[in-house]
Amino acid sequence: MAKIVLKKRKIEIPQSSMADIAFLLLLFFMVSTVFVQEKVFWVERNRWPYAENIQKIPRNHTSTVYIKQDDTVLIDDVPYSIDDIEALKIGGVIQRKLNNDAALIVCFRTDRETKYGIMSDIMRQLQDTGALRVTFETQKKTE
Amino acid sequence: MKVSRKRKGSSEIPTASTSDIAFLLIIFFMATTKFDVKEGLSLVLPPAPKEDSQIVQLTEKELTKIIITSNGEIIFNKENTGLFNQAVVDSKIKEFLKLNSLMIFSVKTDRSAKYNEMIKVLDRLKAAGAEKISLSTN
Repeated sequence: MAKIVLKKRKIEIPQSSMADIAFLLLLFFMVSTVFVQEKVFWVERNRWPYAENIQKIPRNHTSTVYIKQDDTVLIDDVPYSIDDIEALKIGGVIQRKLNNDAALIVCFRTDRETKYGIMSDIMRQLQDTGALRVTFETQKKTE
Repeated sequence: MKVSRKRKGSSEIPTASTSDIAFLLIIFFMATTKFDVKEGLSLVLPPAPKEDSQIVQLTEKELTKIIITSNGEIIFNKENTGLFNQAVVDSKIKEFLKLNSLMIFSVKTDRSAKYNEMIKVLDRLKAAGAEKISLSTN
């Protein structure tokens, strides 16, 4: 019987398209990355109020306002005191943001123990500037 | 004398390392991307009143006043329901929505009341499907 010689095939994974795949992934991450304005998470997530009916907020038109328990207000890492709020400075800051993005949504990250008065003052200023879309960031109730 | 020219070297850019570079960049972007999902209760504030705007008086059929006192008691149209109780607040809101499905809820929170109390009431209003909510303070 004739001997059948099996040819050994060289098995290789084609690597020429690897760079293309990598660049594709790279582009995805570059496009989907949204750079956060502020460097510090001024009010931790576990300090937010609880709610059940929460909805997702589109990230790309938002501006976050942090309000700490001691009534300090922070927008883009800049702290504002109560005197600044009385001097309508917050309204000015939001007005500038609103000029850049008409679809601005102001997100409140407020400590749940904060007194409501300060929130009310800020919202009054938002109304005057015309930034009417607001959200109160909350954490999901777990029971 | 004959001088032999050097052979021309191949002028190709080495592409073997492009994938390495790309992966390096991917790792950078993956590491720096912060998945900071925003979730919360959204609301559209009423526009600021203009000088020439007319004041319209609303009756109790159209407007329900919810007052949150400084110590967290909740008052529905002068009826004090005591501290926040989800079942009581839910049934009250449902009752008012049955009267008028387009009922306007005006949540008036005391300046020294906790922000948390306002959010709790707002959450229940949203759960009941109330669409017209206004926030105010005294």
